Amino acid sequence: MRKYLARRALFALGTLIGVSLIIFVVLRILPGDPLVAILGVEGHARMTKEDRVRIMHDLGLSDPLPVQYVHWLRDIATGKLGKSFFRGDTVADLILHRGPISAEIGILALIVSWLVGLPVGIVSAVKPNSSLDNIARSLAILFIAIPGFWLGMLIVLALLFWFGYKSPLIIVHVWQSPWQNLQIVIGPAIVLGLAQGAYIARMARSCLLEVIREDYVRTARAKGVVERRVVLGHALPNALLPVITISGVLLGFVLGGSVAVEQAFGVPGLGRALVTAVIERDIIVVQNLVLLYAAIFVVVNLLVDLSYAWLDPRIHYA
Amino acid sequence: MSDQPVSGNRPDTLSRRTFLRAAGVAGGAALGPAVLRRKAEAQETPSPIRPDPSAKRGGTLRYAVHNAPAHFDVHQSGTVANIGPQSPMYDTLLRRDPKDGQTIIPDLAWKYEISPDGKKYTFHLRKGVKFHDGADFTAEDVKATYDRIVRPPKGVVIPRTPLFATVSEIVVVDPHKIEFRMSEARPKAFMLGSFASGWNIIVRKKTLEENQGNLRQVMNYPGTGPFKHVSRQDKEVWIMDRNPNYWNKGLPYIDKLEVYHMFPFSPELGSAFISGKVDYARLLDPVSWRKAKEMPGVTAAAFNQSVIQAFWTNMKKKPLADPRVRRAIHLAMDRHTLVEVVKDTAPMQIGGFVYPFHPMSTPKAELEKRLGYQKDMKPAVQEARRLMQEAGYGQGIKGLDFVVRDIQTFKLWAVAIQAMLKEHINIECNLRTVQTSVWFDEAAAGNFDLAISAIVSTLMDPSDYFSAWYGQNGPQNYSVWTNEQFHSLTRQIDRELNDTKRKALVRKAEDILEQDPPLIPVAYEQIYDAYYNKVRGQNPSTYFGIYDVVRWDQVWLA
Repeated sequence: MRKYLARRALFALGTLIGVSLIIFVVLRILPGDPLVAILGVEGHARMTKEDRVRIMHDLGLSDPLPVQYVHWLRDIATGKLGKSFFRGDTVADLILHRGPISAEIGILALIVSWLVGLPVGIVSAVKPNSSLDNIARSLAILFIAIPGFWLGMLIVLALLFWFGYKSPLIIVHVWQSPWQNLQIVIGPAIVLGLAQGAYIARMARSCLLEVIREDYVRTARAKGVVERRVVLGHALPNALLPVITISGVLLGFVLGGSVAVEQAFGVPGLGRALVTAVIERDIIVVQNLVLLYAAIFVVVNLLVDLSYAWLDPRIHYA
Repeated sequence: MSDQPVSGNRPDTLSRRTFLRAAGVAGGAALGPAVLRRKAEAQETPSPIRPDPSAKRGGTLRYAVHNAPAHFDVHQSGTVANIGPQSPMYDTLLRRDPKDGQTIIPDLAWKYEISPDGKKYTFHLRKGVKFHDGADFTAEDVKATYDRIVRPPKGVVIPRTPLFATVSEIVVVDPHKIEFRMSEARPKAFMLGSFASGWNIIVRKKTLEENQGNLRQVMNYPGTGPFKHVSRQDKEVWIMDRNPNYWNKGLPYIDKLEVYHMFPFSPELGSAFISGKVDYARLLDPVSWRKAKEMPGVTAAAFNQSVIQAFWTNMKKKPLADPRVRRAIHLAMDRHTLVEVVKDTAPMQIGGFVYPFHPMSTPKAELEKRLGYQKDMKPAVQEARRLMQEAGYGQGIKGLDFVVRDIQTFKLWAVAIQAMLKEHINIECNLRTVQTSVWFDEAAAGNFDLAISAIVSTLMDPSDYFSAWYGQNGPQNYSVWTNEQFHSLTRQIDRELNDTKRKALVRKAEDILEQDPPLIPVAYEQIYDAYYNKVRGQNPSTYFGIYDVVRWDQVWLA
């Protein structure tokens, strides 16, 4: 197990180094001048060549690319992750302040997706091709098809125009006011959770349908075990492995989707910070946030792999 | 221009009375020079913005304006992202009266004098003014501030520098008197407007020295303004408290100011206002603004903004170098439709090459009779086709590269303009939408045939923007347009001190621009504000732009 873990950790590190290199290079070869955002349109238009040289030097952008990359690695090692080009705030502070909100949204979305997706998948599998199954499948396709940001905007507008309601404008952490915090995170979590729940429902249905036809399920039924116990106690645990796998993959969608959904709900989380940083071409913020998202994705997938052994005793890692 | 020095401080009669009283006292044998000195000190007149006894004190004003600033240096900025949250912490030498947003009144300078030749501006500064860190405000701070604005250090770019191009020397006469000496006189309205601009906040000399003249990453540098920094949450809110030691005693009324950062014209801003989460919203989108207008207990105001929306034609590309082709493009624009196209995205109005609401520009009614501005497009299109024929492009032009800034209004307009050009004069263009930062790279490098965006000026005065927008080597002359007749006229306009003569010159310049367009004007922006009626003391309807009346010292909550 330890060997396996070490191998996976090494693999994860390689993946992250690869991601860091790609994002670092891509951000520096993309067209567009960060000085437009820093100096504004008028300032940028009036900037002399000397000014440009000086400002680029101050920002550390005139160093050769390998030097800039090493500086970034050093910033990661110190835990500060570098400073925003603009206001001088460290990216670490940004993540510490906004990260908890985005993490809450991600975790809640995952919970919502399981709470919605699993029961729907079970009902569909137990009564295939019934009207209940048809409704469930139609809803699943609908939620997969609807873009999260659009649904988010509809919810925001409906709450505003029907109830005059808008969630808090600034971040309120759960330890500051759980009620206000919930108002911030619940909308994005439901929107993201419904979309992922639809995938989970479809996956749970097909896996369960397959498992239900297995001999041991038939045996359990023949022995007179109650149907509920047959499904939940015997069939479901064996159908869960692919669902857990897809949950890990879906977390990537949750992270990606949160960028647009946070924007739609006006939630000042990490996703929104990433959008703003991209618009401003604040490449230090962008590269760190992308790397953070990649790291979360890698770690979650590692945890998913490890959970197999816990869920299925037949699986051993060597 | 009179031979007498011009002086400004609003209550003129009060000064005279004070003077006579002092003279009378001087005649009295019993009183000595010490008393005289005290009387002379008493001549300092209070700010014309006086506390209103009927105003209620206290409360928190929640104000939403623009997204967060990219940095903290107001002088180096060109966006309301800085002015919005930071201005309440600072003062300027002169300011625009919040009552109308136009009249220039004293601020940290309680009086100013202009020499008869217009080449020397003397400011008398208030005494007893303190920065938020407790330091005294003196002429040295004004000198340090303006030295930096007039001649920025390397790596510091200040868009207002050209306003003070003729300031050759700034001399501290005494701790409360400062002179601006100029190599050449400029129109009084232009210079006073420059000193009263909300951008030119006074900062401490020590602050500038400690930061090598660059405040981009200095969040909380002391000002003398009515509000003091308390805290800031990046991209969320900037919180300020009332400055209890504000020099204008009795102001501000409100105890706390919370400035929320929200994208302009965004549904988020609109929803924050409509739901009552903020008391005052600036830069509302038209849909939310119209909704706010219908809400009871809400005032929705619209006012002019110092931004032109336009597209540039690259003079280095052969067909576009021909003034007839550019005039044809100009005439092919159905501006009434263009304003309509974006009516739910951003508020716009029709205009030509000069701010349509400026007293020196062609009046709107007259402008709308001109080709290119009429509702009936037929005569303009006919003339446009004739010009294209005459220039040898009667069959049209194909394959123009039209660079579009990735902002909703420009994207909507680009499609409409593309259709108008094709339909009216058979010009075919390919749209290329790019991010803002890329747009300016492409524009500066000349990598475009047509390119649509918006540009801003500090003042409404043509002397501010004629050289920047249309001048030879002007920083925003993306077309690289030149016209000797126009450039020489600009120089005359800059120097002409007589308003009537100046107006005639501006009209002449306008005529040149109409015939030989350096850019194609699309529209002029308006600003939509909305506020709950409990917010009192602010009347933005007559303001020009969002950069001058921005301090909230006169605002109170009912």
